[in-house]
Amino acid sequence: MQRRLSTWLLLAPAGVWFAVMLVLPLCFVLVFSFGERAPAGGYVPAFTFAQYANLPARGTAFLNTLMLAPLGTLLSLLIAYPLAYFLAMRSDPKWRTLLLILVIVPFWTSILIRSYAWIFILGGQGLPAVIEWLGFGQVRLINTPFAVLTGIVYGYLPLMVLPIFVSLERLDKRLLEASADLGAPPLRSFLQVTLPLSLPGVATGCMLVFILLMGEFLIPAMLGGGKVFFIGNALVDLFLQSRNWAFGAAVAVTLVVIMLVTVSLYMWLMRRMGGQRDDVAMM
Amino acid sequence: MTDKIDHISRQKFMEEMRRYQKGSVTRRHFLGVTGLGAATAVLGAAMPGLMARPAFAQGIGDRAVLATWPNYHDVANFDAFAAETGAAVQVNVFGSNEEMLAKLQAGGSGWDVFVPTNYTITTYVEQDLIEPLDLALLPNYDAASFDQRFAGPGTVDGKIYAVPKNWGTTGFAVNTNHTGGTTPATWKEFFDRTQTDFSGRTMVHDYQLTTIGAALKAFGYSFNSVDPAELAKAEELLLATKPHLFAISSDYQPSMRSGDAWMTICWTGDGKQLNRDMPEIVYVLGREGGELWSDFYAIPKGAPHRDAAYALINFLLKPEVNAKEALFHGYPVPDARLNALLPPEVLNDPILYPAADLLNALEFGAAATLTDPNRAELMARFKSA
Amino acid sequence: MRLYAAAVFAFLYLPIAVIAIFSFNAGTHASQFTGFSVQWYGKALSNPFVMEALWTSFIVALCSAVIASVFGTMAALALQGMTGRVRMVADALIYVAVMVPGIVIGIATLIALVTLFGWINPFLALLAPEGQAPQLSMGYGSLIAAHALFSMSLVIIILRARLAGMDRSLMEASADLYAPPFATFRQVTLPLIFPGILAGFLLSFTFSFDDFIIAFFVAGSETTLPIYVFSSIRRGVTPEINAIGTMVLIVSLLLLVTAQVILRRGPKKEGGDAA
Repeated sequence: MQRRLSTWLLLAPAGVWFAVMLVLPLCFVLVFSFGERAPAGGYVPAFTFAQYANLPARGTAFLNTLMLAPLGTLLSLLIAYPLAYFLAMRSDPKWRTLLLILVIVPFWTSILIRSYAWIFILGGQGLPAVIEWLGFGQVRLINTPFAVLTGIVYGYLPLMVLPIFVSLERLDKRLLEASADLGAPPLRSFLQVTLPLSLPGVATGCMLVFILLMGEFLIPAMLGGGKVFFIGNALVDLFLQSRNWAFGAAVAVTLVVIMLVTVSLYMWLMRRMGGQRDDVAMM
Repeated sequence: MTDKIDHISRQKFMEEMRRYQKGSVTRRHFLGVTGLGAATAVLGAAMPGLMARPAFAQGIGDRAVLATWPNYHDVANFDAFAAETGAAVQVNVFGSNEEMLAKLQAGGSGWDVFVPTNYTITTYVEQDLIEPLDLALLPNYDAASFDQRFAGPGTVDGKIYAVPKNWGTTGFAVNTNHTGGTTPATWKEFFDRTQTDFSGRTMVHDYQLTTIGAALKAFGYSFNSVDPAELAKAEELLLATKPHLFAISSDYQPSMRSGDAWMTICWTGDGKQLNRDMPEIVYVLGREGGELWSDFYAIPKGAPHRDAAYALINFLLKPEVNAKEALFHGYPVPDARLNALLPPEVLNDPILYPAADLLNALEFGAAATLTDPNRAELMARFKSA
Repeated sequence: MRLYAAAVFAFLYLPIAVIAIFSFNAGTHASQFTGFSVQWYGKALSNPFVMEALWTSFIVALCSAVIASVFGTMAALALQGMTGRVRMVADALIYVAVMVPGIVIGIATLIALVTLFGWINPFLALLAPEGQAPQLSMGYGSLIAAHALFSMSLVIIILRARLAGMDRSLMEASADLYAPPFATFRQVTLPLIFPGILAGFLLSFTFSFDDFIIAFFVAGSETTLPIYVFSSIRRGVTPEINAIGTMVLIVSLLLLVTAQVILRRGPKKEGGDAA
């Protein structure tokens, strides 16, 4: 009995915190999503499905996000994996930590400022000027889906590299030696030993980046010139400009549902393939 | 130093202290009456390191938080304000009245002064978001010298809630280097040429009043229309134009200056600033019409630094300072006192003071556009598309 | 392979180089280089609003990280070995906290708190004497609370992994030797999980310091550094922003390198993932 009490006491503060700062706000959002817009903006209590019926009005935003987020994650993975591999397997151990730090540090510069630098690089005086000088004609790079894609891949690259690196570094090198001893060519060793064993890290990285990308609004706002709308942008607009809290709440609920479905699906897939415990895989 | 304080009784000291804290007397009065002023002066003279920084007679605090529009103020004037009163001005920039309203509705904005446009003031009063101004604290505001046409909207139900800052028009700015000889003169041409030779080089505002209004004008409808059929046509036009736009943003100066954008919906002052620095950029008022507007200074309810707010507005309304502001931002100011202080080139500038026929075609914004859900949703759909 | 790595590093640092170079711009526009000058560093350091935003960011990060670490550790300890419904609910909540995008949490917190304050404030005004009622509003409190929530989830996840992998026999041995539970905790468990707590604390601090999305919605009248940078970008960017960015970068770099040097001198090598 006493043990139970002390356990409850330990759990209480966090429990209260979650209840007040997570459950309660999400409940508010859920309730608001069934309400209506107040005349001058805001929320009036009501019970209607009108907001959900209106979701297709933001169809393009949902489409943009559902296309560019996975694409960004994939690209990020493709660029990050070789780098992580190089750092974990091929780099000189003396320099390894320094190189790792060099990967992490850009992540600590505000993503706002880094994205702002891309506005310059992709703007008229940056890369396009170089391209024009090289004779390839005028090309518009800023305020396009391409610019947004570049921004998101760039922004989240370090986040993708890290878990893959951790996974690869923990790899027991003797397995690779054994594989080589058994006559497998390097590519086969990679595909059948390294890659599968690094999957937990890949899964973690992809999950982290995907979740962040689904909620992204800064990068599309800065590099998309107000023309490329993600769900995040739609939300910001609905609460901070159109002031349609009810509809905004409906969009938010939909986003959460999409996340729940996608992530659960993903976890289920991972579990079927790897049989790892969630929390260990998460970190 | 205690013998100085003995000269006034303890009770009287506490009384004066309380009066000072409640703001009934100035710091100077408090310091004088209690003798602390003299005490500090003597002490300070003896030990220079202890001398406080210049004590400002008003003691309005260390800052004034201002919410305003892009390129709207000369920073030098804020520096002068800080030097005079010790309050630094913290500037927040917004691109539309809707954004300001949203922030105020969410509460706790922390703003002391903000700059609403004429058609929004009735809504702010209805929503109980601003308070009537205490004109006694604004000695530099001389109601008689302000053109009523532009000062009027600041008065609601007989009470003055806002004082005029400047007025202006909404047209568009074009870089004539790229117009190939024929400069667009109507809103219809604005939208048509966006889809042809200006494709990928045009900007519209992230602001429903001007962007939807411009599209409505292209059909000859009212800038303020909330008629669903007319709005539908405007939406059609906007959606057709969207792929050809460079950006949707109310902060268009950097892109126009760098040459990334060649044409944009534009306000008077920005047009003036651009034309001043790059003469190839001209400001055009669409012949079908456009918006005539007047911006004001107002104080939101619950402003954290009310004294600083009044001090800032009062400072900016001083004719000498206002003239400097006008020279910087290039917007016309409805204060007759400035006519003596501004050079004739400014007073006769066609960008600031358009010809009568163009002016008459313009409309003031209507409050309905701020609260109409259809217009808000149209804008959001357009941005989202 | 080496070439590829070099190319990726170049990609990573190109914008940073641009930022750093333009921070030395003598002109006022962040996109036209007109001369070399260090004036912007001076301006940034002497700008009271920048310093205040920095201070706010620091305090919020510190408080939320402390709260998250303490309550998170307690929760992780309580949850260890627990089964049944409570465990399921806890798992689900943590899962939700991590998975819901920051923007939704920010917006949800905003509307919840605004509505709640709207109910409570008139009530407070009734209770207290004229004009002196404390009015609840968004600010430090909401910032710290919102950040602490997400950070707490991080701490719990990290510690649960650590506790699960821990060698139980040590704690059992301690109990067998008649040590009271608290002593066992203090002398056996705590040192073993301390690196995890530290990692959680650092991660929470970093997350809070850098967070823009949640802060954007719940900061009310306060300004954190990311919010200041954002409004600067809207206000018209001067190289002051570049100077701030470069300074933050250099400080982070120094911190990480120092941490690495210290850790290397320490007793055992951590898994390399303290950041």
